[in-house]
This record gives sequence, C-alpha cells and structure tokens, in this order.
Amino acid sequence: MRVWDMRLLQDDLPAEKRRSEHLYDYADSEENRRRVNQHFDKLQRGLIIGLIIGFLLPNALLAAYFHYQFTHTLRSSAILNLQTVADNQKNSLDLYLRERIGNLYNLLLSPGFALAPTKAAMNDYLRILTNFHDGFIDVGLINPKGVQIGYAGASPELLGKDYSDTPWLQQLLKEDKHHIVSDSYLGSRQNAEFTMAVRHTFAGKVYVLRATLDPDKLYMLLRSTVHGGSVESALVNANGQYQVVDPKTGNATDRGPFVPPLTQSVAIHEQDIDETSTLIAYTWLKEAPWALLVTQPLSVAQSGMHQARLILTVSLISISLLFCIIIFFTIRKLTNDARRMADKGRQLQEMLAHASKLASIGELAAGVAHEINNPLAIIMATSGVIRDMFNPAFDLDNSTEALYKELTVIDNAATRAKGITKKLQEMGKTRMPQTEPCEINTQVETVVNRLKKVEFKGKAIEVELALSPDLPPILAECERLRQVFNNILVNAADAIQDKGVITITTGIQDGMVAITIADTGRGIPQKNLERIFHPFFTTKGGSLGTGLGLSIAASIVKHLGGVIKVNSVVGKGSTFTILLPTNFYCPLH
Amino acid sequence: MQNNMEKQTKFKVLLVDDEEIFREATARQLRVRGFTVLTADGGEAALELVQSDPPEVVLLDQEMPGMHGSETFAAIKEINPLIEVIMLTGNTSVDNALELMKLGTFDYLMKPVNIEELLYKIEDAHARKQLIERRQRSGSTTP
Repeated sequence: MRVWDMRLLQDDLPAEKRRSEHLYDYADSEENRRRVNQHFDKLQRGLIIGLIIGFLLPNALLAAYFHYQFTHTLRSSAILNLQTVADNQKNSLDLYLRERIGNLYNLLLSPGFALAPTKAAMNDYLRILTNFHDGFIDVGLINPKGVQIGYAGASPELLGKDYSDTPWLQQLLKEDKHHIVSDSYLGSRQNAEFTMAVRHTFAGKVYVLRATLDPDKLYMLLRSTVHGGSVESALVNANGQYQVVDPKTGNATDRGPFVPPLTQSVAIHEQDIDETSTLIAYTWLKEAPWALLVTQPLSVAQSGMHQARLILTVSLISISLLFCIIIFFTIRKLTNDARRMADKGRQLQEMLAHASKLASIGELAAGVAHEINNPLAIIMATSGVIRDMFNPAFDLDNSTEALYKELTVIDNAATRAKGITKKLQEMGKTRMPQTEPCEINTQVETVVNRLKKVEFKGKAIEVELALSPDLPPILAECERLRQVFNNILVNAADAIQDKGVITITTGIQDGMVAITIADTGRGIPQKNLERIFHPFFTTKGGSLGTGLGLSIAASIVKHLGGVIKVNSVVGKGSTFTILLPTNFYCPLH
Repeated sequence: MQNNMEKQTKFKVLLVDDEEIFREATARQLRVRGFTVLTADGGEAALELVQSDPPEVVLLDQEMPGMHGSETFAAIKEINPLIEVIMLTGNTSVDNALELMKLGTFDYLMKPVNIEELLYKIEDAHARKQLIERRQRSGSTTP
C-alpha cells in the first residue's frame, strides 16, 4: 500500500494512468526493459540501414553516371581516331595509286613509245617502271583488238593473250575512262596481284598499257601509316572481297566482314567479328573500286576504360565497405551508450521510487514513534507522580481521590495511543468489505449535519451546498466516503479562524463524480502543499491533530480509483476536489 | 542526606512542552524534589520567561507547533548563552538531537523520560553551568 503519492497533486495526468501506475513493479520493469531494448534495436537498425543507403546509393549513382560518361567519351574518341586513320590511309592509297597510274601514263605518252614494241623495248619499259616503284610486276601493251602485243615480266606466255573479254578492259574502253584499276586476283604464280591499265588513242586507234602490281606494297603502305598496333586496315571490293589484307585476318579475294555502302566521306560501322564487338571506319577510294576498312575491336578502344572501371569499382567497393564498417561500429557504439544511459536512468528511477517508498515508510515510522511516545511520556510521568505520592519523604496527598485522578490521566493517555494505532490500522486496510451504492449528496449532507453539531460549533462557519441532483451513485463503503468528506471538512473548519464560508459543490467532471470542498480559511503554504497527504504531517499543535486525516482520505479515495486535487492560496483559502470514477451502473437508469 | 540533596538541587528549571499533561506531571515530580519549576507551553512563552525570570537549566521539547524546539534553543542561547538546555525528543530519530548537541545543547533525552535519568542530566547541566560561570568570573577578575 502506498499512503502518499505526489501525483495526487498533479492535474494533467490522464485518468487511466493515475490508476494503473505503480511505483515499482518487477514485472512492469521487465516489460519496460524489453520495450526499451526493442526501441534501441530498432533505432540501431534504422540508423545503420539509413546511413548505409544514404551513403551507398548516391555513391553508386555517381559511379554509374561517370562510368557511362567515360564510356561514351572513350567511344567517341575511338571513333574519331579511327576516322582520322581511315582518312589518312585513304589519301595515301589514292596518292599511291595515282602515282602508279601516272607512271603508266608517262610511259605510254613518252616520245618514242613504240606501238609495236620489241621484247627488249618492253623489258626497257618494265625497268623504267620498276625504277619508279618496285611494286610493278610486269607490263604489257594491248592493241585496239584487245590482244597483248608486247609483254615484259615473269609470265612470257601472256604475250599474245586476248584481253578483249576481261571485264576491266571492257570497262576501261566502255566508260570513257582513261585508266582503271582491277580487283585483285590470283596470278599465274598463285600470288595475289591486281592490274592497272591506262589507255590512249593514237591516230584513232586505242592502245592500252597494262601493268600488274603487287598488293603487298599497298599492304606495306597501310601498315606504315597505322599508329599503334590495335588498328587493322584492309581493302575490299564492291563485292566485299578482300583486296589487300593482313595475312593473319584473311586471304586476298576472301569475303570481308561487311560490304560497305557507297559514301563520300568516312563512315563508322559497328559489327561483331568473331564474337568481338568491333568498330569499322570505312571509306571508298577514288582511284580504285575499293573500300578501305579500318577496324578496331571495341574492347581495345575501351581498354583504358576497363582499367579505370576496375579501379573505380574496386575502390568504390572497398571504400563503401570501410564506411559500412565504420558506420556499423559507430552506430552500435552510440546506441550501446544510449542504451546504457537509458538503463542507468531506469535503474536510478527504480532506486528513486524505492527510496521514496522507504522515505515514506520512514516518515510513517517517525510519525508513529512521535505520536505513541507522547502518550507514553504522559503515562510514565504520571506513574512517576503516583510513585512520588507514596514516597514518605515528599509528604504528598495519596488519598484515593488523588490516586484515581492520576490513574484517569494514565487511562486517557493509553486511550489516545490506542486511537492512533486504530487509525493506522484503518489506513492500512486493503480489504474490500461490503460495498453498496452510495448517494454522494446524501453522504455530504449527513457529514455536514453531524459536523455542524460538533466541530463547527464556536465558529461562525457558513456552509453553502451546491449539489447536483442527478449524480450516479458510487459503489463503496458509505462510511468510508463520509470519512473522506469529514476529514477534509474538519481541516477546512480548522483553517477558518473565526468566521468563514465552506462551499461544497458536487457534479460531473471528465466523466467522474467530482466533490469540491472550498474554504475561505488561511490557505496552505506551498512548502506544506506537497506534504499534506503524508501520514502524521500536521500543523495543528499538541493533541489536536494526528496528521492522519488527509492521508486516510487519500488512501480511501485512491482505493476507489479516484484522486484528490488541491488548490490553495495562502490567505484566501483552499479547494479540495475529490474525483471518483463512476463504478455503478443502475439498470433502471 | 535528603537535606543535603535538597540543598544542592535548589535551583530554577524551565520546562517547555506543548503537551500540558506531560508538562504538569513532570513539573510536579521535579518540584517535590526541590526544584523551582517554571513551565511554558511553547517557544514564545519560554523566551519571555528566560528574559523575565532566567532559569539555570531549560528542558526543551523538540517537536512543538509554532516555534520549533531547535529555534527556541537558538533564541535562548542568544538571550543568555550560559543557560544550559536539555532537549526532550519524542522522535526516534536522534540525528537532529545530535546536530543540536554540536550547536551547544547539554544533552538530549528520549521520551518517555525516566525521572532518575532526567534528574542526573539536570544536575550535570547545572554543574557545568556553575563551572563555566566560575571560570568566567576568575577570568574577568585576573586580567
């Protein structure tokens, strides 16, 4: 049982809290501990997840963005590079071919060129050509009938061969062009070679000077203009067949990876070759019906990026991991600290609650001791007096009357002590004896009428009643309720010096039955306000007060699940409000 | 022997207690033993008596309404520091009483009081008072 509770003074506690709160309860505390622990677990989880997401997500997004940008830029620069290489090579090839054509022209138009050359003359011509460039393999002169009438080179059987059916010759004559370059073909010695021919009309007759060239020289030219080994160049004809190619990639006249469409400038095509994504820059030559393909595997073009990406990914992961670990441990440490603090706080609270309980008990004990010791002191002093009466040295009156008088004093003191113990017992009662529906207004009137006859006598105390007619009855021991009103009213009367008013109001407040007892007495100082419900706290001197009245009242009201509120202004008076929960529902109402 | 005792103990004692019955019963016991007993029902009345009719020893109840015992003690010492004060306490807590002894009360007694014990304490207190007075006198005559 708790006889005193500071919360009785507090106005703002919700009703259900007032009734359910305990000072200290082991099970309650366990539940509380569990709840606090859960709260901290949740907090820790939330913080860790939140921070990790908050840190990792932007990081990952940023990394992805930079990766995309980097890839894009690298690709663009790779394409640009390929296009430049293709353009340069195309120019070199065209220049080379033009030079070779020029060589043939110069030879055909040179003064003294014999239209019916001898073998020696042809050999001379071949020597002249190879002096210009060692790519010339042979040379032949074709008369207007299409027959090769002069030849010098490694295949003398070609002398006298009729070329009138060959496509390149037909094209040369038909298209009104002055020179032509044929596709590569396998020559008589199974070597790739291509033919270059120029025509000129001598006295109305068209003569064609043809020469065979070694495509290897073109290949060497391509190789010499490539920067870096990752770029590969090849020439294909309109059918997509290789004309000049790296021997590792393919053979001449094999089909190339793709037939480029006809374009003026350098274009880019992307295609999988041998399951490798490859960039191809292509362009058509001016002097030959060939397209230049400059290829580079995408992986090579982006190899720089792969390394950068690897570094980026690895560092991102390791930094993220590091941060995750730091975040995890920091938060765990913080929440553990907080948890420990909360634990300490709770322990402190429990200790405080326990201490206040002990203090309450101590106060009770001290009060009991004082109240019991006073009558005991009277008994002992009076028995001393009686003893003195029988001491002949003192020569006192020891008549029966005198003796009886002293014994009555002893009896009275003993009765007083008994009264205190009885009151203590009443306060300590926790049983719930016969309860009945009590009409509050009736109880108030009964108490007031009784007090008017006894306690209020000798003072000009006016009692004003403002009783609400339809109050629900309260299921309780009516005598106990009367005791509550009585104790508070007696105090109210005591607070009034000579003349004053006590106002009693009943009504419903917050769904509870409210009984307000207001007096115009001297009021309670703030320092006492907190102690008025303490057992044995009294400001009435001597045997006038036991200091139990209000604490008994509080105990009874608390037992009914109610509360007593106090408001007091020194010099103006005090107002006690008793709030009782309605606990009886009459079926008739 | 009786005469001797009476002769020795003939001095004035002030008994302060708010409990009238106890006060009077104790006073009667002291009076038959030769003391001149003044009584007061509270601190204020006690201080008036100390000023108008100074006693040798004061028996002072600690728990009183109005002026508290410890306040009364301080006030008495202010009026006359030579008066010896014995505290009477109904409380089982002796902390307060010990605290007051440090401040200069002669001793304390727990209620209910044994009359013999009370007599010894009063006499001891009186003896100390006389000793201090004598010392002060000789101190003042031989500067």
